[in-house]
Amino acid sequence: MLLDVHNLDVAYGLARVVSDASIHVERGEMVFLVGRNGAGKTTLLRTIAGFLPAAAGDVAFDGASVSGTAPEVLARGGIRYVFQDKRVFTKLTVRENVQLAAFAQKVPLAAAIERVVAIHPRIARFLDAPAGGLSGGQRQLLLIGRALIGDPKLLLIDEPTEGLAAGTIDEVFEVLSNTKGKVAMLIVEQNLPVVRELGDRVYAMKEGRIAVELTRPEEIRDAARLEAYL
Amino acid sequence: MLASIQRWLARFDLVVIAGLFLALLPVLHVQRTTDFIVFCLYVLSFDLIYGHMGRLSFGHMLYLGAGAYGAALCSVHLSANPIVALAASVILAGAVGLLLGPLVVRTTGACFALINLAFNQVGHFVVLIAAAAYTGGEDGMTAAFSRVGPLNLSQRTHMFAFALAILLAAVWFVRRLTGSPFGILLRSVKEKEERVRFLGYDTTRYKLVAFVLSTSLAGAAGGLSALNYGYVTPSFIDPGRNVEVIFAALIGGAGSVYGALLGGVAYMVISNYLPDYVQRWEMFLGFALLLLVFRFRSGLWGWIAQRAPRPAVEEVAP
Repeated sequence: MLLDVHNLDVAYGLARVVSDASIHVERGEMVFLVGRNGAGKTTLLRTIAGFLPAAAGDVAFDGASVSGTAPEVLARGGIRYVFQDKRVFTKLTVRENVQLAAFAQKVPLAAAIERVVAIHPRIARFLDAPAGGLSGGQRQLLLIGRALIGDPKLLLIDEPTEGLAAGTIDEVFEVLSNTKGKVAMLIVEQNLPVVRELGDRVYAMKEGRIAVELTRPEEIRDAARLEAYL
Repeated sequence: MLASIQRWLARFDLVVIAGLFLALLPVLHVQRTTDFIVFCLYVLSFDLIYGHMGRLSFGHMLYLGAGAYGAALCSVHLSANPIVALAASVILAGAVGLLLGPLVVRTTGACFALINLAFNQVGHFVVLIAAAAYTGGEDGMTAAFSRVGPLNLSQRTHMFAFALAILLAAVWFVRRLTGSPFGILLRSVKEKEERVRFLGYDTTRYKLVAFVLSTSLAGAAGGLSALNYGYVTPSFIDPGRNVEVIFAALIGGAGSVYGALLGGVAYMVISNYLPDYVQRWEMFLGFALLLLVFRFRSGLWGWIAQRAPRPAVEEVAP
């Protein structure tokens, strides 16, 4: 088991946002977290990534407890986080955005750019332009490509298709589909067609708790099962 | 044509900078021109943490003062060799930065500005009262430096050339640094530090390195001030003078080596020559700041750079 989250509680002050959450991700598996806004999905993801402290419970990654570990240490250990709001470093060029990840992972810049361009070939035209000029879809693909530099073990992706046009969602879908099996992914997503098509395992969250875990393909493909939680 | 001039300027900018300071010599006194150079070095050091890393300090005079007193104390107690004294000023200011940095760089915004100001006040008190037996207190201390081979810094022209060489070396170093992955990292910290951590960087460590480099460069400026004047007074570490470097960085444009130099020269011209014509010249500075805030938000260099033709890479993404 690559990621094992066990009885996790997360609180903002006195308000408990995640209660007794237990999930796990196997190597190469694509796992989705679904649920309504405010269900605690992003909070759970940010706690796994080391940005929020857990009030109780444990997060184990690659066989070792990583609760309380700083995000930069987790990132170096193979956990990468792709934020929800598609915010790249807008004042840096696209090349510099890639260079930042390449330098952190000690990967040659040319190889890092090749990796990102392989995911989104059209971005090669904008390498020396400020990343702030990219569209939302291009930013998302740049962020996913950047997160894949240095062969991570686990990608945490928060709402990758949120706010994107239909055509761009297809591009993101294709990238996720091509990446499936090569790296484990835990993805917060509300776009159920994407979840049904790609998910190996799905957790639905409700009011901070894991309400249901679906593992069998026929359960995941059953539209009614998940829609009840959105 | 303009593009080729730009390329030439980018390649030979150190020659251009040296030429511009040499051109100032007939207009200003040699010692005053050296003063301009030293102040530009100080602005360059400040801009490393303000313009590139996005941390505004209200206490950078502490490191200029540490450098100035480091050079003067070295000349009295250790060695009158000016190169050794300059090295002492860099080491002392860098050591002060290394001592305070682990605490200071963990803060942001107003806290970063004020914690630096607080340490500057402490440094001023130490120089003025606590260590007055060594620093001369309010009277300051004199510093005499020996010749090193043909280099005689008591001669104004030698001092000018020496300061200019140090400034050019600093410009080269800062430009290399800010163009490297380390510089990209600093700019990304300025934009959103949290996201840099998720890429695997221990940002505190990188900020500390930038902070110590900045304090060391400010120390070099302080050391050159001591060499230029031959004395040091508490005004070299006066917290009330922090506004000077902030004004200069804002006038020139933060986050650019050329902006720092332009701002340094512009501020020195205003503060040195405007009082000859305008009685309350500080009021002019206030108006200049208002003009900058409303009209030239990226400073003079930013304003110039925005109007320069750019290479055709800026295709708008669909």
